[in-house]
Amino acid sequence: MSFELPQEVEETRKRARNFALREFTKELIEHFDETEEYPNEIRKKVFDAGFITIENPWNMLVTMEEFCRVDPGIGLSTLASVFGSEILLLYGTDEQKEKYLYPTLKGEKISAVAVTEPGAGSDVAGISSRIEKSEKGWILNGHKMFITNGTVADHYYLLARSAPPPSKEKRHHGLTLAIVERKWNGVNPVKLKGKLGMRATDTAEITFENVLVPNKNIVGEEGKGFYIIMTFFNISRVYVAAQSVGTAQGILDLLLEYLAEKPASFREMEYVQFALAEISTLIEAARNITYKAAAKVFSFNPDPALTSMAKYYAAEVANQVANIAFKIVGIEASGSKLEKLYRDAKITEIWEGTSEIEKLVISRMILKKIQEVK
Amino acid sequence: MASEEQKLLVSMIEQFAKEELENVAQKIEKEGISKDIRKRLAELGLLAATLPQSENGAGIDRSSFSLVLMTIAKYSASVAYFIYLQNTLVNEILFKAQKRKEEIAKIASGESTGTLVHDINLNFPLEIYIKGHELYGANNFVILPDADFHLVLARSEKTSYLVMANPVKIEKKKPLGFRAISFGFASYKQTIEEDRIILKDADNLLKSHIFDTSDQIAAIAIGMSESALEKAIEYSKERKAFESYLYEFQPISAVLSDMKGRIEEMKKALMLSEDTKDRILLKLNALELARSASRLALQIYGGYGYLEDLGIERYYRDSMYLTMLSSNYIKDIEIISKNIISPDAFKI
Repeated sequence: MSFELPQEVEETRKRARNFALREFTKELIEHFDETEEYPNEIRKKVFDAGFITIENPWNMLVTMEEFCRVDPGIGLSTLASVFGSEILLLYGTDEQKEKYLYPTLKGEKISAVAVTEPGAGSDVAGISSRIEKSEKGWILNGHKMFITNGTVADHYYLLARSAPPPSKEKRHHGLTLAIVERKWNGVNPVKLKGKLGMRATDTAEITFENVLVPNKNIVGEEGKGFYIIMTFFNISRVYVAAQSVGTAQGILDLLLEYLAEKPASFREMEYVQFALAEISTLIEAARNITYKAAAKVFSFNPDPALTSMAKYYAAEVANQVANIAFKIVGIEASGSKLEKLYRDAKITEIWEGTSEIEKLVISRMILKKIQEVK
Repeated sequence: MASEEQKLLVSMIEQFAKEELENVAQKIEKEGISKDIRKRLAELGLLAATLPQSENGAGIDRSSFSLVLMTIAKYSASVAYFIYLQNTLVNEILFKAQKRKEEIAKIASGESTGTLVHDINLNFPLEIYIKGHELYGANNFVILPDADFHLVLARSEKTSYLVMANPVKIEKKKPLGFRAISFGFASYKQTIEEDRIILKDADNLLKSHIFDTSDQIAAIAIGMSESALEKAIEYSKERKAFESYLYEFQPISAVLSDMKGRIEEMKKALMLSEDTKDRILLKLNALELARSASRLALQIYGGYGYLEDLGIERYYRDSMYLTMLSSNYIKDIEIISKNIISPDAFKI
């Protein structure tokens, strides 16, 4: 049993680290945080440098970690420009892949996943957007909320209700996934500004009014969209865990930079040393559970409980280490990057399934084992 | 327990805060504390709250002042902190030193603002010096650098002074929290006349003032916690997931109830703190409470809380910022350890 990643992946990690340190300059980080603009030029450079690839998902995972270590806002924005690609990779037709997936993976298009609604976040099956069959195709009406890449994406992988649920227990039936282009008539994305953190990411509220969706844009089987989205979440949550690990590692880096500038007597305080030990241990544990969950997902043997544990725990760690670091640095953190990482870290407990949802997934999977014992 | 008189005071402050702060709290954060708000605070006696009535102050006792800060903080933590800062200057420093009565009057009336520039909460001393009568140096962490006057802690070879000064240069930065109150850099270079020296051996005196008013910081933190929790409970009764209200879910109900219990206990402790050690402990616990309550509120609100429109993310920023401004954890815990364990505690 080896805990080492293959050499190729470690080399990618080094390249990603160097790229982020070179390209995510202090000025750019502050600019995108202040203006909330989408870092499109850096996104293009990320593609040119070959960091976005589906050939070996480990490369994307360590790149996510290293990018977020330097700046979670820019890092996630650039890598998530292919958000949802796994959906087409696993369920798309050749035509859909040709039209949407391959141009996205080449950096020519940007994609987004549109599931959350004003009245349904954690409760995916509670969405009320409707997609109904018509003579010419499908008609979409609805309202999506907090959609990452919402105003910059060329197309969305969108979940809507195509049939009423057969029963209260089967609310997740009758949901269909469709590819919807942003520039189609009736699609109105509005950028949401004023986020606490991750301000380089584009977030939007989108309304869909009588949008005509061609039959060929339905992904997978009609009415089975819920399962597709859950499969996707199993993958995407591993990347969010990596985002958290990277953010936490970035906080440790900043703390070490701070300590390096202080007299040795400060570093020699055992209180400070214990804090460093706690932070390092938390990050190492979060990284290991993330890699274990990723190993399962990337070998097509996903363990939803483990994935949820990784996402929940790593997010908890990112926020916890920020708090510990502030105890050491105090007011001297004011105006520093540490403040920014504290703001950026919080979202990891909310998006792609809140920590509460992750706990529900974990406990349901664990409870199944009781039935097995019986 | 609050007395009848204190209950009356709180009810008056609550009415003011509801009518004049609640609806404009977000605006205050964006535009700062206006002269009009300062005047209203002055009319209510809040800018010289603890100053004796014989000196044109409101003559409010210590625990009543804590209740005032706690109540204001529920509606605008920035305004509460501003009141705390101005009272520290007016009563804790200038009045006790029996210096600069004209500045006391100007602050009390809302005409002027003052700030305190020190390094008590930093891990290492600042480089602001006084040589002869020449003050020089800079500080990167000044609250309200655009205040009308600064009380600056400056060190000489043998002792330290608190002097009244005006910066030669200021640079404002966007702070993590309390965005209604400016924050940033200030540098000083001026000759200090005798009447501008407020305190000698200021380091120790200032330390005791600051640590001794820890209960007032605790009061602000408790007010913020209470407000964050109230908003979280309110939202849990509006928002549905899986066809049920959020509060109907056991884990959510449990954390909300647990937080309510912690806040109520902290409110009781606020009225009981007797010495500096108690007050520092109270401050540390109240700051931790504020951070937890803000994190909880943000979690309950989910994505909506992450946007500034609803004012929930503000609690998250403000609670950490208040911690940064008011507490150096290592120094705080050192004082407590030496007091409750042994003078040799926290040595290694």
